[in-house]
Amino acid sequence: MILSGLLLIPLIGMLVVLLLPKTATRLIRLTATVSTALTLGVSLAVLRLFDPQAAGVQLETFIPWIPQLNIAYHLGVDGLSIMMVLLTTGLSFLACLASWSIPERQKEYFTLYLLLELGMLGTFLALDLFLFYVFWEIVLVPMYFLIGIWGGGRREYSAFKFFVYTLAGSLAMLLGILAIYVATHTFNMTELAQVCPTFAPGLQHLLFVAFFLGFAIKVPVFPFHTWLPDAHVDAPTPISVLLAGVLLKMGAYGFFRISYPFFPEGARWFAGAMAALGMINIVYGAFVAMAQTDFKRMVAYSSVSHMGFVLLGLSSLTPEGFNGALLQMFNHGTITGAMFLLVGVLYDRAHTRDLTAFGGLGSRLPVYAAMLTIFSLASLGLPGLSGFVSEFLSFVGAFGVQRWPTIVSVLGIVVTAAYMLTAIQRVLLGALNQRWQALPDMTPQELVTVVPLLIIVVLVGVYPLSVLRLQDPAILALLQHVGMFQ
Amino acid sequence: MVSATLVESLRLWLPEVILGLGAMGVVLCGALTHRRAAAAMLTAVVLFASAVLLVNAQATPPAEGFFGMIRLDPLAHVFRWLAWGVVALVVLMAWCASDVSPKWFGEYLGLLMVVGVGLMLMAEAQHLLMAYLAIELVSLTSYLLVALTRDARSSEAGLKYLLFGALSSGIMLFGMSLLFGVTGELAFPAIREALERLPSSQMRLCATAVGLVSVGLAFKISMVPFHLWTPDVYEGAPVPVTAMLSVGPKAAGFALWIRVIQMVEPVWGAIAPAVWWLTVVTMTVGNLAALSQTNVKRLLAYSTIGQVGYLLIGLSVRTAAGIEAILVYLAAYLFMNLGAFACVVAVVTDSGSESVDAFRGLARRAPVLALCCAVFLLSLAGLPPLFGFIGKFLLFGAAIQSQAVWLAVAGVVNSAIALYYYVNIIRQMYLLSPQQARPLRPAAAVQVALGVCGVATVVFGVFPSGVFAWIQGVI
Repeated sequence: MILSGLLLIPLIGMLVVLLLPKTATRLIRLTATVSTALTLGVSLAVLRLFDPQAAGVQLETFIPWIPQLNIAYHLGVDGLSIMMVLLTTGLSFLACLASWSIPERQKEYFTLYLLLELGMLGTFLALDLFLFYVFWEIVLVPMYFLIGIWGGGRREYSAFKFFVYTLAGSLAMLLGILAIYVATHTFNMTELAQVCPTFAPGLQHLLFVAFFLGFAIKVPVFPFHTWLPDAHVDAPTPISVLLAGVLLKMGAYGFFRISYPFFPEGARWFAGAMAALGMINIVYGAFVAMAQTDFKRMVAYSSVSHMGFVLLGLSSLTPEGFNGALLQMFNHGTITGAMFLLVGVLYDRAHTRDLTAFGGLGSRLPVYAAMLTIFSLASLGLPGLSGFVSEFLSFVGAFGVQRWPTIVSVLGIVVTAAYMLTAIQRVLLGALNQRWQALPDMTPQELVTVVPLLIIVVLVGVYPLSVLRLQDPAILALLQHVGMFQ
Repeated sequence: MVSATLVESLRLWLPEVILGLGAMGVVLCGALTHRRAAAAMLTAVVLFASAVLLVNAQATPPAEGFFGMIRLDPLAHVFRWLAWGVVALVVLMAWCASDVSPKWFGEYLGLLMVVGVGLMLMAEAQHLLMAYLAIELVSLTSYLLVALTRDARSSEAGLKYLLFGALSSGIMLFGMSLLFGVTGELAFPAIREALERLPSSQMRLCATAVGLVSVGLAFKISMVPFHLWTPDVYEGAPVPVTAMLSVGPKAAGFALWIRVIQMVEPVWGAIAPAVWWLTVVTMTVGNLAALSQTNVKRLLAYSTIGQVGYLLIGLSVRTAAGIEAILVYLAAYLFMNLGAFACVVAVVTDSGSESVDAFRGLARRAPVLALCCAVFLLSLAGLPPLFGFIGKFLLFGAAIQSQAVWLAVAGVVNSAIALYYYVNIIRQMYLLSPQQARPLRPAAAVQVALGVCGVATVVFGVFPSGVFAWIQGVI
């Protein structure tokens, strides 16, 4: 039942915000912040109850919902989802703090914000395919509004592009879901993981592709990535954090939760393509990021690059690769979430994100400079910080199986180092541009949103076992399951 | 004996009797008193009474009435409720809409109720004569209602509807006469029996007859290529009448078509491929044409054609799952489409403009109205957890179940296209700033309609089991 609490708190918070008068902005912000904080608290309680040794689903809730179609309100966590749940609740809370500066239409903003959190959490908790799809789609609507109303630049275009791309993908997935239901008459993911692998290989390939389209657009996998830079850049800072931090993970999580356990044959058949796509994401994303002069756009393309490691790790079908992929999802969420917050901090002060317009800020804003440097280094994979561990594991896992894609992907790391260091150099080093003479350093409110992420990045970097031990049993079980249906 | 059957039939048919008599009462009341309130109150009483009788009729076992002219089975019962729902919701919208002169208010409400009786009859018809009479009852009253505004546009629309309608009625009647000529029967079960014994030499003639009858039905439900009247008529008619046309005759048309297909099962194989193709064409034409519309009534007209395309999937596959999906989707469509039209009524009454631009900034001028409107549009677009999604899910599922994967694929692709124009209205409401800051307050009756439709769209979307249980008893 505790997992239902994770969904109920944002729901109740949303209803309370809806009932508050439009003008009570303080109360609205407070309600939203308390809701996200409580959700974070409950998720930490879930972590305490979670048994890391057990591979299977824990804390299950099962209530028949639409009995005529065998649909149930079925929730649970396991090693694959626990870190995603914590990532979601954590980033939702931090981004909610960062949302205090939203200048207008706060009531609508926080209503949609809490609905978004509900949808994201539901996606990671659902163990019923129908329920999963419902939550998956619920995420779209608030995100559309959050980018479209409170965003900048070509916000309408970006919001709409996001909506259409992801909906097109999820409709392909809907066809897959219907096909599965017609064949099996169940939506229970635990049962489906046993039944679906026995489908004929041709059908498995087809269904794998249908789900792949749905997930790949969300990840996003090249060539479906074009919505990402637009949406990330034009979204307001807290929403960029959630987009990069959580939404992209929903796609990758879908591979872990549905594609691989349901269609092992399809997964093996697709492994080569997966590795190639991962390679393209890593290298192409890095090169395009290098060409950007807009700081936020650069971080957005770095997401494309970093999500490539998830694909590469997945393609390996080895414990190292899978662990690396799943850990990379968590690490990317924390690192890139922080990067977007830091870009937002700079933009709030300078009202520009043009990398060439800065210079020498390191001496003016020492605290900011320290933060930006650490997270950039984490992003480029410096040993000792969290990004290194997951990227390394992905490479180790993939090298034995997908040799050439892995070797090419290593080049991507070099390019990543190049653009990240160039960005630091342009913003922090060199002569101080006199325009920024009076720029103030980070305020305590801003530090509060970034420092927790810093602690996580260092902790996971120094002691990766803290996260790996939670996910490893589930990953071994998943691989054993995939191997069983040869 | 005869009188006993008549009495028994009338007893079974009491909801329609009350509705029909009430309609005349309302017309008279409007004509004599010229008071809106009197006509409206009488309408409310009549609708309430017929609803009570419908609830009572629920328990009665399937029966034939009027010497086999009509059949009152669970399928008919679902459509009686749908027809009642259409009339009740449209009356609520008509209550405050300003586009019809108050002088005609009694006739307006009365004719709407007559349409309701016609819709119920279409779903009950078990006899070719009865089917034709029911369709004509709906059509003739619809022509009047469309032209009721009595301005140039409305009259043109009424005339256009009349001409198209008369042509298609003629074609259908010709088909019926052929069917009668071949089988020598008029009642559906008798025709079915005759068709089973039919020598194969007459099959083609029979298929032609069935095809011609289908044309008449296709016209009623705006199936491509018999949809051409739809946008013009929808644009010219008063908004509540457009709302009624977009749901009522569509639902009843599907009911009658389901029965006709059951009747002509032996020869339907010859027509089926054409219907399959036209299913895909209908949804595609409707959705593509809707993309470029700037008049909200025309936009919803093309959207209706697209929605009819989805519904036709259920008819094409001809399985129990398909029919069940049609019923669920029609129930969803009743609430979401009439809800969307209630929003249009509110906006058009306020601004006098039927342009999509009139929705600009609605979220600031009327937050609740905008929220309801967004819910209806997202439900029409098929997003979970709204009622429309459940219906679409069943329809596409029925297609896959019958190995008609490409019908489901076409439906899915069309859903993606349709998103564009539905979201465009949402964009107008939420992302753009209003042209005028004055708050918009819909009339009380429209608020009731919005509330009913909004609650139904959300609640049945999240908890559809009740609807399933109700409809599964039918098949």
